Amino acid sequence: MKSTIHDTRIGKLLGLATFLGAFAFATPSFAQEEGGEKKDEAAKNEEKPDEDKWFAVINADVFPGTGGHFRDATILAKNGKITEIGVAVDVPDDATVLDAGGLRVYPGLVAYASAGLFGNASSDFADTVNTFSPNLVMALGNGITTAGQSGAALKLKRGEVDGVLLKEKASTLLSYSSQNPQGKRSLIDKFEATAAYLRDYRAWEEEKKTNKDAKEPPKKDSDATILQVLKGEVRARFQADDRDELLGIARLAQKYGFRPVIEGCREGWTVAEELGRAGAYAVITPRDRVDKSEELVAAGGTSIENAAILRRAGVQIAIVPAAKGVDLGGIAGRDILALAIEAGFGVRGGLTNEAALEAITIVPARLLGVEHRVGTLEVGKDCDLLVCDGDLMHYETFVQQAVVEGKVVYEKNKELFYAHIRPNETSALAPPTRVDKGQEGAAKPADEAKDKDEKKPDEKQDGKDGEKKD
Amino acid sequence: MKLRNLLSSCAALALASLASAGDLVAIKAGHVETVSHGCIQHAVILVEDGKIVTVGKDLPIQRGIPVIDAPDLWVVPGFVDAYSRVGLEARGSSEFNPHVKVDAEIFARNDEFRDALEAGVTTLGLYPAGSGGMPGQACVVRPAGATAQEMLVKSGSYLLFVFRSDARSKKMLKDAFEKANEYVEKEKKAREKWEKDQGKKKDDKKEEKKDEKKEEKKEGTAAELQDESAAQEKKDEKAEKTDAAKGYVPPEADEKVKPFLDLRAKKLRMLVTLFTAADWLHFSQALGKEDIGYDLRIALTRDIDVWEVAKPIGEKKLRVLMEPEITTVWGTLRQRNLPAEFVAAGAKLVLLPRGDAPSIFKNWPRHVGEIIAAGLDRDVALRAMTLEPAEMLGVADRVGSVDAGKDANLLFFTGDPFQATSKLAAVMLEGRIVHGEVQQ
Amino acid sequence: MRRSVQTRGFALAVAAGLALASCRATNEPSVRTVVHDDGTRELVIRPLATGETGLVVRAGKIVTCDAADTLLAPGVLVVRNGKIEALGETCDVPDGFTVLEFPDATLAPGLVDLHTHIHSGSFGDINDMVLPVNPEFRTSPTIVPGNRLIRRGLSGGVTTLFGIPGSGTSMSGFGVLYKSKLDSTYEEAVMADPGGLKVAQDSNPQREAGDFGVGRGALSWILQNVNDRAKAAVRDGQVEPGLANLAKVHTKELPILIHTAGSDGITNTARMWRVTNDTRSTLSHGCFDAWKTSKAVIDIGMTVNNGPRTIEWVSSREGRVIGISAEYLKNGAKNLSMNTDSPVVAQEELALQSAMSSRYGADDYTMLRALTIHPAIAFGIDDRVGSLEPGKDADLVVWSGWPLDPRSRVELAVIDGGIEYDRTRDGQIF
Repeated sequence: MKSTIHDTRIGKLLGLATFLGAFAFATPSFAQEEGGEKKDEAAKNEEKPDEDKWFAVINADVFPGTGGHFRDATILAKNGKITEIGVAVDVPDDATVLDAGGLRVYPGLVAYASAGLFGNASSDFADTVNTFSPNLVMALGNGITTAGQSGAALKLKRGEVDGVLLKEKASTLLSYSSQNPQGKRSLIDKFEATAAYLRDYRAWEEEKKTNKDAKEPPKKDSDATILQVLKGEVRARFQADDRDELLGIARLAQKYGFRPVIEGCREGWTVAEELGRAGAYAVITPRDRVDKSEELVAAGGTSIENAAILRRAGVQIAIVPAAKGVDLGGIAGRDILALAIEAGFGVRGGLTNEAALEAITIVPARLLGVEHRVGTLEVGKDCDLLVCDGDLMHYETFVQQAVVEGKVVYEKNKELFYAHIRPNETSALAPPTRVDKGQEGAAKPADEAKDKDEKKPDEKQDGKDGEKKD
Repeated sequence: MKLRNLLSSCAALALASLASAGDLVAIKAGHVETVSHGCIQHAVILVEDGKIVTVGKDLPIQRGIPVIDAPDLWVVPGFVDAYSRVGLEARGSSEFNPHVKVDAEIFARNDEFRDALEAGVTTLGLYPAGSGGMPGQACVVRPAGATAQEMLVKSGSYLLFVFRSDARSKKMLKDAFEKANEYVEKEKKAREKWEKDQGKKKDDKKEEKKDEKKEEKKEGTAAELQDESAAQEKKDEKAEKTDAAKGYVPPEADEKVKPFLDLRAKKLRMLVTLFTAADWLHFSQALGKEDIGYDLRIALTRDIDVWEVAKPIGEKKLRVLMEPEITTVWGTLRQRNLPAEFVAAGAKLVLLPRGDAPSIFKNWPRHVGEIIAAGLDRDVALRAMTLEPAEMLGVADRVGSVDAGKDANLLFFTGDPFQATSKLAAVMLEGRIVHGEVQQ
Repeated sequence: MRRSVQTRGFALAVAAGLALASCRATNEPSVRTVVHDDGTRELVIRPLATGETGLVVRAGKIVTCDAADTLLAPGVLVVRNGKIEALGETCDVPDGFTVLEFPDATLAPGLVDLHTHIHSGSFGDINDMVLPVNPEFRTSPTIVPGNRLIRRGLSGGVTTLFGIPGSGTSMSGFGVLYKSKLDSTYEEAVMADPGGLKVAQDSNPQREAGDFGVGRGALSWILQNVNDRAKAAVRDGQVEPGLANLAKVHTKELPILIHTAGSDGITNTARMWRVTNDTRSTLSHGCFDAWKTSKAVIDIGMTVNNGPRTIEWVSSREGRVIGISAEYLKNGAKNLSMNTDSPVVAQEELALQSAMSSRYGADDYTMLRALTIHPAIAFGIDDRVGSLEPGKDADLVVWSGWPLDPRSRVELAVIDGGIEYDRTRDGQIF
């Protein structure tokens, strides 16, 4: 096992390597709704012209999260975006190169919901995130590179503030609870009124083309938020577990034509077909454990097979652990750091490995509205990836390096948290290796000495300034 | 006062001839740490009218001049505490009040000033209280005097900004400069209008005025010197404005806007309090490309993570204010000497007492001694308690080092001030022993 | 396969017949091994006599957890009358035996959890908070065999539990060793009542009401005092019914499980229960910074039962995330077992406790032993449970993969030869 970072110049990599799986990477098929991003990039380029930053991972077993698998592949990124994935990739001379040495590379994980990864930040994320937070580093160490918090999508850009907030809000929380029949009724009414308005509005738009005097329909009781939902601009999010609620939501969704996101969804397995037909998404904790109400005749309660059953019925599954935050109290395997472990429990319940990986990458990315940026390794997307020493969902696997937007932001060997656990040969805790006395090694101490010399005169100058004033 | 200039130019000779001029005192000390130009053994310091007239090695002293004979003592400049709430009212706001000056809060006869003075703190930067936002502008005082007026050395020393990583702090900063921009626009229009009305060329005038200014410079009193140093930093643009003043009256800036114009004109500094490394990121982002002079107070807490940003702060050669504390890396018992780390990274260091209590003032050198023992350069540490805060406060022309022309604020220690066994034997404030005793 | 950890540490069994054939009281060998011409070794089993029951399980892999770390791949296990009769590579099955085939699965011993509180089916375990010591108490009246929490544990592979009182008092009473049988009487489910003593040291039993026993000094005095009283009663020939079971602890007839944590706590515990009172004691929890002094405890012969905490970061202030099990193993623990402290950690997640220990640095195979043979030895029930060896109770669990992997599910759980949980029959519970 070997994985080191060099800034040395690596020339053209010849595609001698073997290659497995589908080579379906020619063109990215996702929607490009990133006008804002492009502008940002343009701004960056203005600041630093001609300074494209290249980054490459080489010799990697790449599991891009789109099905398939590349062996001994290279992922190349320019300014944080993936430009190429494959076995015959030209790596520019000035690229920062990460040699994965045959380790596995996965897309960075997306935690659908998290808490406390960015310090105390809980709103106004652009202005409050603490990207030096130990929790953030530990989350990176457990593979999370994008996290949902309070409905926003945040990138774990360590030590940076710009670009941390990926998306402010992709969904709106609607209440549909069997505890609140009046609320349910009112929600249904709102949908009815808004759908009617939307129909009239669209008819008016058509009519306008021929009839200039057509009158715009009145908004009446239509609801602005629900209008966004019906237009597909915002996802409708529910927190529901009971069979009765889930059925109600499924019917509402089918009737008015939107795809609901259902968090919890504990009894989803009992109404999987209905949820599948409604195009629902479910956010599930496979280990959730609630007994069925003995009052009910129908099947109920939680099931470890929930994710698998729903998935088979066509429901897209995102998986989250029971605790959104980092728990260092000692009981391991249940907090946000156990995202991949929790996905493993999905597999235990019958989910395929691929579906389980999707449940912690691309599906939550979709639900957070950032699937065009993260969630899979594809050309055009952000270069957010993990170098792992094994199967991502195996309980002994550790992230060796985490890369966010083409920058290595976490290295197991260099952080206190996990470096001592099965240290690999390049670890700081491993026995010292031979010192390279080549040119590069020799150049460094001299540079340092120079720096020191430069500092001293500056301090003296300050002293002189003081004298001058006298 | 004119004598002083003479004296400093031809030290020993002048000294002898002026023996009978009165109000003179000579200090013979085994060890004088000037801070500005190293340490002098067997030094003589001549003080007149509370000012240091000269300082040098083994200077002859004219008979008749009273002599303070301290062959075994170490003399260092009076300490400067740049960040204190001594003798002030306890309450403060955390709103946006950049125009408020702390001067009016001073309780002149408060015992706390005496406590500070007796512990060797001869200059205090007093800051307006506030747990957030911009509570106002600090002032500099000497801890002696019957009235606040007598104590005041400088008003409007720095604008305090207690920064936190939140939308409010960032918006406050951006809005403030936005308002300043609005004023600049307004002023520009007013001037254009005035110029149009005048229809005159003003280039000749400008030349004249500059000559006048040079003359003023030649005869500078101590107070004027201070203005002068500020004036050096003034931009030509500003000078132009004054020139035009005769005919053209610029519109009055809002009092909450003016501090930000002053910041841009480098007439005022900002002191930004940071609590975490992330605060630095957010502050830098909010400040953007705004060119102002500012210093950072870093509130050290046990597990503070500011070492994460020592490099960018050091590279900018910023001045950091810290307490002499050893901190730890979060989650560990690994100790860090942040003052030393920031100095190594290139930052300028101001050390603060750990608090305002009399016992803390008394132990200040010992606390600093602890971080010297942990690796901070000793001379940097002494400078961080004297000249560096004086420069930060804009009073380095008067205090902070043992140099001719400066106030004779001197501390007499029985040994190295950072040794726990050393005692502060006496404190001299402006030429008078105000605490302790020395052999006359 | 991702890596070879699954087979690491095993001695592959190749010896003919594996010397596993056991003799019944009839002196007639029940099992013998035939070596065929092609080299395959076949177990030949005596047919079932009248009234006997028999079960044969074939699995892709059998992890026995015996002393030789025998691994059979593939393997066959024969059960007669609720006891394991033989293990081998193949066998010809006589009539009457039930045969179960799991060609792709792993057969392992039923898991043992020494620190559980789920026996009543809810949080209703005893914890009398009036007196600081209750050596007269037992959990037996609170046990509800086959309750839903036990069933969940079973679906996670847990077949033997030590159901104990809470840790609210210094000596909270005696626990019961029982099996996860779902449709049995109390008597059929129980292995031993009392199965052992529960003692709590360090913070939990502190008398917050402010009477005697707020601090550690007085707590220690209270515990030693009751020990001394029990010893004095035996010495003086007095009959003290309330102290009778405690006397059995002093004669090492009964083991003790001691709730204790923190570096000071565990050394205090070791001193009292191994030095002052020479007992068969097991340290339970042993978390926070206790790993720092674990060597002192292990060196004087204390067994360790770690859980529910498997990692430590806060109190040690080392910066690194410490795998508690890994540290105990590093410091020489020969007998480390894991617990859930259920319902603190769900009973069915016992295997995850070991998986997390492996993740944070412990040897993976040792962590399976920590769920099987180690706790059995610590509590003196290794003659019945903890490994797959002839003569032991037929407590078997068939896993779809490696037992510690959260992705592996329990296909079948057998206790005393009876199928208690069958995923295809009962539906997957966990």
